[in-house]
Amino acid sequence: MNPRLVHWLALALVVVAALVVAETAERPALTNADRVQRLAEDFACPVCAGQSVAESDVPVARTIRAELARMVDAGATDDEVRTSLVARFGEDIDYTPRGSGIAGLVWVLPVVVGVVAVAALAVAVGRWQGDRRAGTGRWSRPVVLTGVVVVAVLAGVLVAQLSGSRGGGDTATGDIRSSTRTLLIEAGTAPPAEAVALYTEVLAIAPSNVEALAYRGWASWRLGDADAARPDLDAAVALDPRYPDVRVFRASQRNADGDLAGAAEDLTALDGLEAAPIVGDLLAASRLRERVAAGLASQGDLLAALELVDSGLAADPAAVSLLAERGWMLALTRETQLVALGVEALDEALAVDPDHPYALGYRALVRYGLLADEDGARADAAAFAQVPDAPPGLAELLVADGLLVDASG
Amino acid sequence: MTRPRPVRVAALAAGLVVAVLVGVLATRDAGQDRFTTHLVGQPAPPMVGTTIDGDGYDLDGQRGRWVLVNFFSTTCVPCIREHPEMVAFAKAHADADDVRLVSVAFDDSADAVEAFFRENGGGWPVLAADTGTVAVDWGVIAVPESYLVAPSGHVAAKVIGGVVHDDLERLLAEARGS
Repeated sequence: MNPRLVHWLALALVVVAALVVAETAERPALTNADRVQRLAEDFACPVCAGQSVAESDVPVARTIRAELARMVDAGATDDEVRTSLVARFGEDIDYTPRGSGIAGLVWVLPVVVGVVAVAALAVAVGRWQGDRRAGTGRWSRPVVLTGVVVVAVLAGVLVAQLSGSRGGGDTATGDIRSSTRTLLIEAGTAPPAEAVALYTEVLAIAPSNVEALAYRGWASWRLGDADAARPDLDAAVALDPRYPDVRVFRASQRNADGDLAGAAEDLTALDGLEAAPIVGDLLAASRLRERVAAGLASQGDLLAALELVDSGLAADPAAVSLLAERGWMLALTRETQLVALGVEALDEALAVDPDHPYALGYRALVRYGLLADEDGARADAAAFAQVPDAPPGLAELLVADGLLVDASG
Repeated sequence: MTRPRPVRVAALAAGLVVAVLVGVLATRDAGQDRFTTHLVGQPAPPMVGTTIDGDGYDLDGQRGRWVLVNFFSTTCVPCIREHPEMVAFAKAHADADDVRLVSVAFDDSADAVEAFFRENGGGWPVLAADTGTVAVDWGVIAVPESYLVAPSGHVAAKVIGGVVHDDLERLLAEARGS
């Protein structure tokens, strides 16, 4: 063999061996905390997109980090930790690719690419030897040689990186989908525009996911895209009429659209469902039911308004705001018996919550305008004025009747 | 004029390998739930702790009965939503005492858990302190998650997301083989 070729081959061998040793040699961890950190970097956060357990701060990542620390402190080896987590969360939690199945290609492909590159190099060198004897191609050889080596190295690195970032069930098209669960969790905390995209991803995987339909509709509504919101909300109700959240969303949308009867229908349906307390809290905070009822009453449909309020009171007899609204609507009929019933409802509301601004304001107006009880009216108005964040619309009515002084001048 | 064939053959072979690889990967189904539990059909992991009432709890002590193990958090809306369903399920089986429940708080404070149960009801044992190991042992990813444990101590089923009373009854009937 040509001595110069031997020298070059020996040099190449030393360089490759040095690179391999430098890359694969692991430095020993100095402390348990170092080991925990290194291990946390080796595991994927189960509910995150592309974050390791070390990088993420979601509850499950925090919990796994704490468990890693506990296991390391208890003397578990890295292999024992790895085996334990894989047994509990599945192989996809482990960033170190498996040696079998599709993921095993991550180990095989760089070798295949390297062998092909070396073979191509050997063929090229053979051809150049022929060219040298023929006296051609002198200047192109180094360029081609460098090009082949660079391409081979880049190909190997790229294949290793791309393969290593994919799970066994992922596609090669770049369309790596997270689980619907992960997407729903992400969407729950995302801004509306981003949430719409995430819910759309969920629906691409599971077209009948009611939660995704309902919340995409609601996010679209909040973004002002009513045309996109309405069909989503309708489809969600059609799929699961017993899903409380979508009833609230659609009631709000219908109210804004002026479809008060439709809004009342959704809210009445909601009362027959076992909604989470948070749904009731949201409803109370927005006063949606009261607004819909007031709208129905102002359109002359007092019966429907009372039915809506009474439906809410049947679900929560101590709902002060509904009692106050009921009293006000009855009083507005100006019919003696109904006014008496209205005052009764307002008294009841204030017995439950003496500082309820609507109950105080309504009773002041009723006492002043319908019962000729100016002292009582002024007492209620004075109490109303002491309530923090009293509703400004009601304050204006009291000012108009001379029961309150206009603070704005 | 002829070009050396080995280069063409090598290039063709490499192209073919890449094409087949892309074809295989591109036509595989996307993984919808990449992190899966392997617990169903396996013995239930240990669950030992102290309840919010201060009593000791050991899941092993429930052998011979069905147990619904529920991982939850007081700040998770689906957990709040499912709670009345759990209460209804517990009530439906209270007389027969054939199913028991245990709730395990996930990344939550014991005080919040205690207040939650006081406000929303539920008289079953609740583990709230130092539950990280239990959660990892059970492979909990995000709450709510529930597991039906058979009288033999094996995990019979897993429910991801909020439970519904009727679905739980159906699941129990299926697990019982009735």
